[in-house]
Amino acid sequence: MISAAKCAVGGLMLITIGLPAAGSAQNRWARQVHDELQRALNVVHAHGGDRPLLDKEGTLNQEESASFTITLREGVSYSIFGVCDEDCSRLRLVLATLANSELALDRTSEGFPVLQFTPRVTAEYRIRVAMEECRLNPCWYAAGVIPSSGAKP
Amino acid sequence: MGNRVRRVRTLELAMAPLRVWIAVAVGGCALIALAYLPPRGAAPRGPRFATYSPEPTAARRRAQAVAKEWRETDASLRLLEDRQHVKWDSSRVGPAIIFRGPTLPPTAVRTVEAVADSMWRALGLGETKVRAALVIALERAPGSAPGPIPDQNGVAFLTPDSTDRTTCMAFLPANHFWTAVLLGHPPRHFEPDWLARWFQSGLGPCAYYAAYGTPSRSVRSWLAARNWDVALYLGTHGIAGERFLSVNLLGDPRYSWYWDGIYSLSPSTVACLAGRLDGCRSAVLYGADDDARIAVPEIVRLEQGWWRKQHLLPGERFLGDVARDVGRDRFQSFWTSSLPVDTALAAALRQPVGEWTKQWERRFIQPIRLGAAAPLGATLLALLLAAVAVSAVALAASRRQVR
Repeated sequence: MISAAKCAVGGLMLITIGLPAAGSAQNRWARQVHDELQRALNVVHAHGGDRPLLDKEGTLNQEESASFTITLREGVSYSIFGVCDEDCSRLRLVLATLANSELALDRTSEGFPVLQFTPRVTAEYRIRVAMEECRLNPCWYAAGVIPSSGAKP
Repeated sequence: MGNRVRRVRTLELAMAPLRVWIAVAVGGCALIALAYLPPRGAAPRGPRFATYSPEPTAARRRAQAVAKEWRETDASLRLLEDRQHVKWDSSRVGPAIIFRGPTLPPTAVRTVEAVADSMWRALGLGETKVRAALVIALERAPGSAPGPIPDQNGVAFLTPDSTDRTTCMAFLPANHFWTAVLLGHPPRHFEPDWLARWFQSGLGPCAYYAAYGTPSRSVRSWLAARNWDVALYLGTHGIAGERFLSVNLLGDPRYSWYWDGIYSLSPSTVACLAGRLDGCRSAVLYGADDDARIAVPEIVRLEQGWWRKQHLLPGERFLGDVARDVGRDRFQSFWTSSLPVDTALAAALRQPVGEWTKQWERRFIQPIRLGAAAPLGATLLALLLAAVAVSAVALAASRRQVR
């Protein structure tokens, strides 16, 4: 399921969509990940997805990770994306419970991991982004969560 | 009669060599005194590198320690505050400049920024992931500000950490000379590129952060353990000119070394100066085995006379020269490698660390001779004394021969 979603979103990434201009104070790496994440979220949104639930951007050095919590609703299918800048060659995305039990992870798609997840219960979940390979530290990353098309209310 | 004469003859033979021996001993002492005692009225020569001051009392030592601690804490707080308030100018490529002390006229600020931008480009830098900010503290007149005088001597660096991964701060105190230059009153002999060189040497580790990003944990731990002494200067020239190195501050490497300067260095540093591979390896990898805890915030302070405490000479440019020698890609791999430092560095150099370092050090310093070796003057004097002694013995022996 994960690989199918990955291919679909990866293909859609090629479509150019009008994007909001990045802040002038940002450097080019921050703009790059911001633009890529917005592009991915817009693609899913344009194909029937809902508004993004989460949109996080930041920096990580190699072997560092960041995590944040989000409430996901039972029965709703979510797409979770991670993007990183040109110096990053492997970003890991993990969905876990608050007790750190891993529910889904994607570590095969290098700089653009995607998770597809439909929770069985409405609860708070933890999303962890780990910078596994960054050629020039720090690397910029962005993560987004959006309900996918066909979502049940 | 015959017995009496024989007894007198024996006494004469015994007395004659005794006088010769006394004369030889006195003459030898005179020669040694001539060679080693200073002439009358000459000033006594102390060690070149030691300064003597009266021993302070315990109370004064305590007061000085508290004052030092206060200055360091105050300087750290100011750097942290400055980091929060850096204004990045998107029209410039170089480091942000923050002035402390007297207000500079706008034209002087623009000139300084232009020089900093040129220096930044000369280092091959443009837009960088880790940005650098130079905090320049201009000299204040005593009593011009309330409270104790802040630290106006020590160069310090606040490296990026988890609270701010993209900013490196360099604190550069401007003494009387540089304050006059920055205020637009340079001395007559001032050359235009001196200011750029001063900025370049003032960037210290921040230049490495800008060029190669944050190092891996192992590299950073190694550098922290040795106070970044091998990564203080990224430029292609010396710290203050075409060929000016920290070694020049210890003496002119073309001539004989000041031994009292060498004795202050660690054994591995001296061994490397003598061209010993093991010594060079140990001097480079000092601190690599320690799992040094990296403080947050990490503030690297350079004490006055830092060149006397280096583990490698001229260490300040070691990693800069490694980077130029191996090329950007290989150096970048070393810089972010999670392997142990010795393995990562040897992989980047493609040869053992000690061997490369030995050859590198020969570019700047002629190897010194270690081990027992008498100076030429002392050797000649000893040979002379030995010759005199042998001659005296031979003379005495020839007189004692009964024909």
